[in-house]
Amino acid sequence: MIEGASVSTDFLVALYRCVLAVGAHPVTRVGLEGVREGLLGHGTDAQLDWLNPRSVDDIECADVRIQILADTNTRSLSAIDPTRQARVSRSRSPILSRVLERSAAGEFRWVIVGYPTNAAAQEAQMSLRDYEDFVFGAAMLERDDPVAAWRELGTRLERLGAWLGTVETLRIVGPDTDLSFSVRGRTWIPCDGTFNFPDGECFTSPVEDSVEGEIRFTYPAVFHGRAVEDVRLRFVGGEVVEAEASKGRDFLEQMVAMDEGARRVGEFSFGLNEAVTAFTGEILYDEKIGGTAHLALGEAYPESGGVNRSALHWDMVCDLRQESEVYADGELVYRNGAFLDGRF
Amino acid sequence: MKDPRVDRLAALVAGYSLGLGDGQAVRIDGAACSAPLALALYSEALELGANPYLNISLPELDEILLAEGTDEQIEYLSPMSWSEVEALDAMATIWSDENTRALSRVDPVKQAGWLGTRRKLSTRRWERIAEGKMRWCGTLFPTNAHAQDADMSLEDYERFVFRACHVEEATPDATAWWRSTSEALSEHARRLGSVRELRILGPDTDLRVGVEGRTWIAADGQYNMPDGEVFTSPVETVTEGEIRFHFPAIYEGREVEDVRLRFEGGRVVASEAARGGDYLDALLGLEGARVLGEVAFGLNYEIDRFTRNILFDEKIGGTMHFALGSSFEQAGGNNPSGLHWDMVCDLRAEGEVYADGELVWKSGSFLEAGPGAPCSTRGSRGSRTSSSATRSMSSRASSL
Repeated sequence: MIEGASVSTDFLVALYRCVLAVGAHPVTRVGLEGVREGLLGHGTDAQLDWLNPRSVDDIECADVRIQILADTNTRSLSAIDPTRQARVSRSRSPILSRVLERSAAGEFRWVIVGYPTNAAAQEAQMSLRDYEDFVFGAAMLERDDPVAAWRELGTRLERLGAWLGTVETLRIVGPDTDLSFSVRGRTWIPCDGTFNFPDGECFTSPVEDSVEGEIRFTYPAVFHGRAVEDVRLRFVGGEVVEAEASKGRDFLEQMVAMDEGARRVGEFSFGLNEAVTAFTGEILYDEKIGGTAHLALGEAYPESGGVNRSALHWDMVCDLRQESEVYADGELVYRNGAFLDGRF
Repeated sequence: MKDPRVDRLAALVAGYSLGLGDGQAVRIDGAACSAPLALALYSEALELGANPYLNISLPELDEILLAEGTDEQIEYLSPMSWSEVEALDAMATIWSDENTRALSRVDPVKQAGWLGTRRKLSTRRWERIAEGKMRWCGTLFPTNAHAQDADMSLEDYERFVFRACHVEEATPDATAWWRSTSEALSEHARRLGSVRELRILGPDTDLRVGVEGRTWIAADGQYNMPDGEVFTSPVETVTEGEIRFHFPAIYEGREVEDVRLRFEGGRVVASEAARGGDYLDALLGLEGARVLGEVAFGLNYEIDRFTRNILFDEKIGGTMHFALGSSFEQAGGNNPSGLHWDMVCDLRAEGEVYADGELVWKSGSFLEAGPGAPCSTRGSRGSRTSSSATRSMSSRASSL
């Protein structure tokens, strides 16, 4: 199943052709700009709550889902009441859960792939041409053998993940940041381009009630087309007890209040793609910026051992390239954006 | 800029044709080039409390599938598509092409396999429609490709399409217009219901068609927009005489010009064409293809010209059309066939139709008093046939 907006038609057609060539059965779900705006802007509560049976079937029946990220206007939802957005996310959460469940059970594969558009380039403050270079560079497509390059990165990520798996607690220290949590018994997942493309991170789900301390996010936290700036969170016993932002605080609070799980951390991850250096406002790339870490509030990935459930999964990125350190079980293992002692 | 006619067409289809209401699951089908109407329909459906979603196709994918797919891939139907059929309360199909000839060079055998596969789904949809579990309407969003087929500019073609649907400014209330047209069409259908035999006279045309015991159906905008015809399926064994079609007969995008047919005992016994005779002969070789599955009067007088699109051509006011092949069960027809080929006969200049010997139609319209005349008194309004299913369905079932 290939999902993408009509603005990505060229890529969708190319993918369709490749899927056909390997003998699979491509099914397409083409989105039109304006539909989400229409529903969120004018739908009744009952309409916002409606879970399309086809979307459920799609997830139950498909073997593979390819989602193309391609926007024609990254800010088209700016005027939408956030509680309505939260409502739609809640009504669709069974789909997200089933994706993660079936994926963890090995019945289903999915990948999210970025496709450059003018809107995304504008968001990143680049020309389309520069943005294309950025996207294709992050994907290592300019290498002589991109597949080999991804395999090699995969090997390095796997080694890092294996070592992180032996760690019990992590402490992240940086500007206005001192956050500790347990990752004991959790699995670190190396992300080598099979679920996201481009890729390059290693993540896990922290032990739900272990997160303590505070963190300040360097980059705007973007969710559903809204940017919340300078987010600061304070955790006690695994839950957000204070959430501040210089811009978009209401939205932040509403999202965090979406459901019980939205106050907890579902994911912690190191960004490890060295070709991604600039912040673009698109989380697919931002969370992979080499030398950053991100955590997500909300839904955890079952394959990492996380049990937190939520309709929310909101990644927020913290730049660790300056004045930052990470301690593993008390030992300094990462400084200013890089692991020490050849760990990665 | 938004075209208010598009919004009015969307409101008409969502409200009048589909009768959408609270909580109904509605799928809106269209190509990416029909986005303005697809989005307008989506908004109207939301407004009416329904749960709409879009199903957008990219025509180039069909071309790639047919050119590069294996037979197994071409004939594949996803499990999702089967369960989806059962879940829908309504569906709107927007026909809209960027190139009406995009499949011209596709292998016809592969195309037939593909159409056959898709027909399985539409057959199930028609069953649900007949059971009253689902509604469907097909309409069109004007594009340059369709305008080109009609020998018009896009602007002129848009005017033509929106006038045919009565959503241009001259009609203040499109829904009211279609409701009253529905009554007039139903009255035609009621009167024709008592006729045993029609005799159609025109240039090189003298055809007798038996319609005794058959049900005439008013096509009033519920299944097609635009609409405007009454039709039935003739008695299979009694068609006699000859007919000449001045408009090209088009099937699956291929044109046959100046078709002449001679019928004996209900079957085509001789056929001729100025161009495309081989194709005509090939199609006549299909099972059930030599028998008429439909006879109909086109009564939408806003449609005044041939545009190479059956959605409009079969409704041209003042024409009749005859379909070779499959008939309509709900009309009492009994001619199963894989073919349903509508051919339009222009009767506007010198045509006459006699019903059981009485002149009822002359030069493109029903006469006042005879059977089929519009009822001015509106005495007993013919019950709106519950199954006033469209003709466009068979010929276009693959697009449903």
